Amino acid sequence: MNADTATMSGATVPPGKTGTWWFLASEIPVFGGLIASYIVVRLGSAGWGEASGHLSFTLALINTFLLLTSSMTVVMAHAASEESNYRSVAKFLGLTILLGLGFLGVKAVEYTTEIAHGFTPASGIFWSFYYGMTGLHGLHVLAGIIVNVVLWIGALKGSLAQNRHRVELAGLYWHFVDIVWIFLFPLLYLA
Amino acid sequence: MSDSHSRHYLMIWIWLLALVLVSVAAASILPKAQALVLIFAVAIVKALLVARNFMHLKNERVIIYVIVLIPLTFVIILLFALFPDFVYRG
Repeated sequence: MNADTATMSGATVPPGKTGTWWFLASEIPVFGGLIASYIVVRLGSAGWGEASGHLSFTLALINTFLLLTSSMTVVMAHAASEESNYRSVAKFLGLTILLGLGFLGVKAVEYTTEIAHGFTPASGIFWSFYYGMTGLHGLHVLAGIIVNVVLWIGALKGSLAQNRHRVELAGLYWHFVDIVWIFLFPLLYLA
Repeated sequence: MSDSHSRHYLMIWIWLLALVLVSVAAASILPKAQALVLIFAVAIVKALLVARNFMHLKNERVIIYVIVLIPLTFVIILLFALFPDFVYRG
Protein backbone atom coordinates (compact mmCIF):
# COMPACT_ATOMS: atom_id res chain seq x y z
CA MET A 1 0.00 0.00 0.00
CA ASN A 2 1.20 3.46 -0.78
CA ALA A 3 1.61 5.44 2.44
CA ASP A 4 0.52 8.67 0.74
CA THR A 5 -2.88 7.39 -0.28
CA ALA A 6 -3.43 5.75 3.06
CA THR A 7 -2.56 8.57 5.42
CA MET A 8 -2.74 11.86 3.51
CA SER A 9 0.98 12.18 4.26
CA GLY A 10 2.68 15.47 3.65
CA ALA A 11 5.66 17.16 5.20
CA THR A 12 3.85 17.18 8.54
CA VAL A 13 0.79 15.52 10.02
CA PRO A 14 -2.29 17.56 8.96
CA PRO A 15 -3.77 19.56 11.87
CA GLY A 16 -7.17 17.85 11.59
CA LYS A 17 -5.58 14.45 11.98
CA THR A 18 -3.39 15.55 14.92
CA GLY A 19 -6.50 17.02 16.56
CA THR A 20 -8.46 13.82 16.02
CA TRP A 21 -5.68 11.74 17.57
CA TRP A 22 -5.52 14.13 20.53
CA PHE A 23 -9.25 13.68 20.96
CA LEU A 24 -8.88 9.90 20.79
CA ALA A 25 -6.02 10.13 23.29
CA SER A 26 -8.38 11.93 25.68
CA GLU A 27 -10.89 9.10 25.24
CA ILE A 28 -8.35 6.45 26.26
CA PRO A 29 -8.44 7.41 30.00
CA VAL A 30 -12.26 7.62 29.86
CA PHE A 31 -12.73 4.02 28.74
CA GLY A 32 -9.39 2.87 30.17
CA GLY A 33 -10.34 4.16 33.63
CA LEU A 34 -13.68 2.37 33.49
CA ILE A 35 -12.09 -0.87 32.26
CA ALA A 36 -9.29 -0.72 34.86
CA SER A 37 -11.83 -0.15 37.65
CA TYR A 38 -14.00 -3.00 36.32
CA ILE A 39 -11.04 -5.42 36.28
CA VAL A 40 -9.91 -4.47 39.79
CA VAL A 41 -13.40 -4.56 41.34
CA ARG A 42 -14.24 -7.83 39.57
CA LEU A 43 -11.03 -9.52 40.72
CA GLY A 44 -11.69 -8.31 44.24
CA SER A 45 -15.24 -9.64 44.62
CA ALA A 46 -17.01 -12.93 44.08
CA GLY A 47 -20.18 -13.80 42.19
CA TRP A 48 -19.60 -11.77 39.06
CA GLY A 49 -19.41 -14.76 36.73
CA GLU A 50 -22.96 -15.67 37.71
CA ALA A 51 -24.21 -12.15 36.91
CA SER A 52 -22.55 -12.02 33.48
CA GLY A 53 -24.14 -15.41 32.71
CA HIS A 54 -27.46 -13.55 32.34
CA LEU A 55 -26.17 -11.55 29.35
CA SER A 56 -26.98 -12.66 25.81
CA PHE A 57 -23.75 -14.00 24.37
CA THR A 58 -25.36 -14.57 20.95
CA LEU A 59 -26.49 -10.94 20.62
CA ALA A 60 -23.03 -9.72 21.68
CA LEU A 61 -21.46 -11.97 19.05
CA ILE A 62 -23.77 -10.53 16.38
CA ASN A 63 -22.81 -7.01 17.52
CA THR A 64 -19.11 -7.90 17.36
CA PHE A 65 -19.61 -9.03 13.77
CA LEU A 66 -21.53 -5.83 12.89
CA LEU A 67 -18.93 -3.50 14.39
CA LEU A 68 -15.87 -5.29 12.98
CA THR A 69 -17.53 -5.27 9.55
CA SER A 70 -18.35 -1.56 9.87
CA SER A 71 -14.67 -0.85 10.52
CA MET A 72 -13.89 -2.46 7.17
CA THR A 73 -16.60 -0.50 5.33
CA VAL A 74 -15.50 2.85 6.81
CA VAL A 75 -11.88 2.26 5.78
CA MET A 76 -13.16 1.36 2.30
CA ALA A 77 -14.97 4.73 2.30
CA HIS A 78 -11.68 6.42 3.23
CA ALA A 79 -9.81 4.63 0.42
CA ALA A 80 -12.54 5.68 -2.04
CA SER A 81 -12.32 9.31 -0.84
CA GLU A 82 -8.58 9.31 -1.55
CA GLU A 83 -9.47 8.52 -5.14
CA SER A 84 -12.30 11.11 -5.21
CA ASN A 85 -14.78 8.35 -5.97
CA TYR A 86 -17.72 9.85 -4.08
CA ARG A 87 -20.30 7.32 -5.29
CA SER A 88 -18.21 4.66 -3.63
CA VAL A 89 -17.71 6.85 -0.55
CA ALA A 90 -21.51 7.23 -0.24
CA LYS A 91 -21.99 3.47 -0.67
CA PHE A 92 -19.49 2.50 2.02
CA LEU A 93 -20.53 5.25 4.43
CA GLY A 94 -24.14 4.15 3.94
CA LEU A 95 -23.17 0.58 4.81
CA THR A 96 -21.24 1.81 7.87
CA ILE A 97 -24.28 3.78 9.05
CA LEU A 98 -26.57 0.75 8.60
CA LEU A 99 -24.15 -1.51 10.49
CA GLY A 100 -23.90 1.08 13.29
CA LEU A 101 -27.69 1.33 13.49
CA GLY A 102 -27.84 -2.48 13.52
CA PHE A 103 -25.43 -2.49 16.47
CA LEU A 104 -27.60 -0.02 18.41
CA GLY A 105 -30.75 -1.97 17.50
CA VAL A 106 -29.28 -5.21 18.86
CA LYS A 107 -28.10 -3.36 21.97
CA ALA A 108 -31.62 -1.99 22.46
CA VAL A 109 -33.03 -5.54 22.28
CA GLU A 110 -30.41 -6.64 24.84
CA TYR A 111 -31.23 -3.80 27.24
CA THR A 112 -34.98 -4.39 26.88
CA THR A 113 -34.63 -8.11 27.63
CA GLU A 114 -32.33 -7.54 30.60
CA ILE A 115 -34.52 -4.85 32.13
CA ALA A 116 -37.61 -7.06 31.58
CA HIS A 117 -35.81 -9.75 33.61
CA GLY A 118 -35.24 -7.25 36.40
CA PHE A 119 -31.56 -6.49 35.70
CA THR A 120 -31.27 -2.72 35.91
CA PRO A 121 -28.20 -0.54 36.65
CA ALA A 122 -29.25 -0.72 40.32
CA SER A 123 -29.21 -4.55 40.41
CA GLY A 124 -25.60 -4.77 41.56
CA ILE A 125 -22.06 -3.65 40.86
CA PHE A 126 -21.72 -5.85 37.74
CA TRP A 127 -24.86 -4.35 36.23
CA SER A 128 -23.75 -0.81 37.09
CA PHE A 129 -20.50 -1.42 35.21
CA TYR A 130 -22.30 -3.22 32.38
CA TYR A 131 -24.80 -0.43 31.73
CA GLY A 132 -22.19 2.29 32.35
CA MET A 133 -19.61 0.89 29.95
CA THR A 134 -21.94 -0.32 27.19
CA GLY A 135 -24.11 2.80 27.54
CA LEU A 136 -21.14 5.15 27.14
CA HIS A 137 -19.89 3.03 24.25
CA GLY A 138 -23.36 3.08 22.65
CA LEU A 139 -23.41 6.89 22.87
CA HIS A 140 -20.08 6.93 21.05
CA VAL A 141 -21.52 4.69 18.34
CA LEU A 142 -24.48 7.09 18.03
CA ALA A 143 -22.12 10.08 17.74
CA GLY A 144 -20.15 8.25 15.04
CA ILE A 145 -23.34 7.49 13.12
CA ILE A 146 -24.32 11.19 13.20
CA VAL A 147 -20.90 12.24 11.86
CA ASN A 148 -21.08 9.55 9.17
CA VAL A 149 -24.59 10.66 8.15
CA VAL A 150 -23.34 14.25 7.70
CA LEU A 151 -20.46 13.00 5.51
CA TRP A 152 -22.75 10.61 3.63
CA ILE A 153 -25.10 13.50 2.73
CA GLY A 154 -22.04 15.49 1.60
CA ALA A 155 -20.91 12.58 -0.59
CA LEU A 156 -24.37 12.31 -2.18
CA LYS A 157 -24.66 16.08 -2.78
CA GLY A 158 -21.09 16.40 -4.04
CA SER A 159 -20.07 18.90 -1.35
CA LEU A 160 -17.63 16.46 0.29
CA ALA A 161 -14.95 17.11 -2.33
CA GLN A 162 -13.65 20.21 -0.49
CA ASN A 163 -13.41 18.30 2.79
CA ARG A 164 -12.70 14.75 1.77
CA HIS A 165 -10.08 14.34 4.54
CA ARG A 166 -13.00 14.32 7.00
CA VAL A 167 -13.82 10.79 5.85
CA GLU A 168 -10.46 9.64 7.24
CA LEU A 169 -10.94 11.57 10.49
CA ALA A 170 -14.45 10.16 11.01
CA GLY A 171 -13.00 6.74 10.25
CA LEU A 172 -10.30 7.10 12.92
CA TYR A 173 -12.99 7.82 15.50
CA TRP A 174 -15.11 4.89 14.27
CA HIS A 175 -12.17 2.48 14.52
CA PHE A 176 -11.48 3.68 18.06
CA VAL A 177 -15.08 2.89 19.02
CA ASP A 178 -14.58 -0.54 17.42
CA ILE A 179 -11.40 -1.12 19.47
CA VAL A 180 -13.26 -0.25 22.68
CA TRP A 181 -15.84 -2.93 21.81
CA ILE A 182 -13.04 -5.42 21.07
CA PHE A 183 -12.17 -5.15 24.80
CA LEU A 184 -15.71 -4.78 26.18
CA PHE A 185 -16.87 -7.98 24.47
CA PRO A 186 -14.47 -10.38 26.27
CA LEU A 187 -14.57 -8.39 29.54
CA LEU A 188 -18.35 -8.55 29.83
CA TYR A 189 -19.38 -11.65 27.88
CA LEU A 190 -16.46 -14.08 27.85
CA ALA A 191 -14.52 -13.59 31.08
CA MET B 1 -10.49 2.33 -4.86
CA SER B 2 -7.75 0.01 -6.01
CA ASP B 3 -8.20 -3.74 -5.77
CA SER B 4 -5.07 -4.12 -3.65
CA HIS B 5 -6.56 -1.80 -1.00
CA SER B 6 -9.83 -3.71 -1.00
CA ARG B 7 -8.11 -7.09 -0.77
CA HIS B 8 -5.90 -5.94 2.08
CA TYR B 9 -8.84 -4.57 4.11
CA LEU B 10 -10.88 -7.68 3.35
CA MET B 11 -8.05 -9.91 4.59
CA ILE B 12 -7.76 -7.95 7.84
CA TRP B 13 -11.54 -8.26 8.32
CA ILE B 14 -11.34 -12.05 7.80
CA TRP B 15 -8.50 -12.24 10.35
CA LEU B 16 -10.56 -10.25 12.84
CA LEU B 17 -13.55 -12.58 12.45
CA ALA B 18 -11.30 -15.64 12.72
CA LEU B 19 -9.83 -14.26 15.94
CA VAL B 20 -13.34 -13.77 17.36
CA LEU B 21 -13.93 -17.48 16.75
CA VAL B 22 -10.63 -18.30 18.47
CA SER B 23 -11.67 -16.41 21.62
CA VAL B 24 -15.14 -17.95 21.61
CA ALA B 25 -13.63 -21.43 21.22
CA ALA B 26 -11.10 -20.70 23.99
CA ALA B 27 -13.89 -19.64 26.36
CA SER B 28 -15.79 -22.87 25.82
CA ILE B 29 -12.91 -25.40 25.60
CA LEU B 30 -9.97 -24.27 27.74
CA PRO B 31 -9.77 -24.16 31.55
CA LYS B 32 -10.77 -20.71 32.91
CA ALA B 33 -7.27 -19.32 33.63
CA GLN B 34 -5.79 -20.37 30.28
CA ALA B 35 -8.90 -19.19 28.43
CA LEU B 36 -8.65 -15.72 30.02
CA VAL B 37 -5.00 -15.32 28.98
CA LEU B 38 -5.76 -16.38 25.40
CA ILE B 39 -8.95 -14.29 25.16
CA PHE B 40 -7.20 -11.08 26.21
CA ALA B 41 -4.12 -11.82 24.09
CA VAL B 42 -6.47 -12.23 21.12
CA ALA B 43 -8.25 -8.95 22.00
CA ILE B 44 -4.90 -7.11 21.99
CA VAL B 45 -3.99 -8.65 18.61
CA LYS B 46 -7.38 -7.61 17.19
CA ALA B 47 -6.95 -4.05 18.50
CA LEU B 48 -3.47 -3.88 16.94
CA LEU B 49 -4.79 -5.20 13.62
CA VAL B 50 -7.44 -2.45 13.54
CA ALA B 51 -5.03 0.29 14.70
CA ARG B 52 -2.17 -0.63 12.37
CA ASN B 53 -4.19 -1.41 9.24
CA PHE B 54 -7.56 0.36 9.38
CA MET B 55 -6.23 3.41 11.28
CA HIS B 56 -3.01 3.22 9.25
CA LEU B 57 -0.76 3.51 12.31
CA LYS B 58 1.85 1.40 10.56
CA ASN B 59 2.41 4.29 8.11
CA GLU B 60 2.03 7.00 10.74
CA ARG B 61 4.61 9.36 12.18
CA VAL B 62 6.20 9.03 15.61
CA ILE B 63 4.26 12.01 17.01
CA ILE B 64 0.97 10.13 16.60
CA TYR B 65 2.39 7.16 18.54
CA VAL B 66 3.51 9.56 21.28
CA ILE B 67 0.03 11.11 21.48
CA VAL B 68 -1.57 7.67 21.89
CA LEU B 69 1.01 5.99 24.11
CA ILE B 70 1.10 8.68 26.82
CA PRO B 71 -2.54 8.21 27.99
CA LEU B 72 -2.29 4.46 27.43
CA THR B 73 0.73 4.33 29.77
CA PHE B 74 -1.21 6.26 32.42
CA VAL B 75 -4.13 3.83 32.19
CA ILE B 76 -1.76 0.86 32.65
CA ILE B 77 -0.13 2.62 35.64
CA LEU B 78 -3.62 3.23 37.07
CA LEU B 79 -4.51 -0.44 36.67
CA PHE B 80 -1.40 -1.62 38.51
CA ALA B 81 -1.70 1.13 41.12
CA LEU B 82 -5.16 -0.20 41.99
CA PHE B 83 -4.03 -3.84 42.18
CA PRO B 84 -2.77 -3.76 45.80
CA ASP B 85 -6.25 -2.68 46.87
CA PHE B 86 -7.76 -6.09 46.18
CA VAL B 87 -4.59 -8.14 46.63
CA TYR B 88 -4.25 -7.01 50.26
CA ARG B 89 -7.87 -6.45 51.17
CA GLY B 90 -9.39 -9.16 48.96
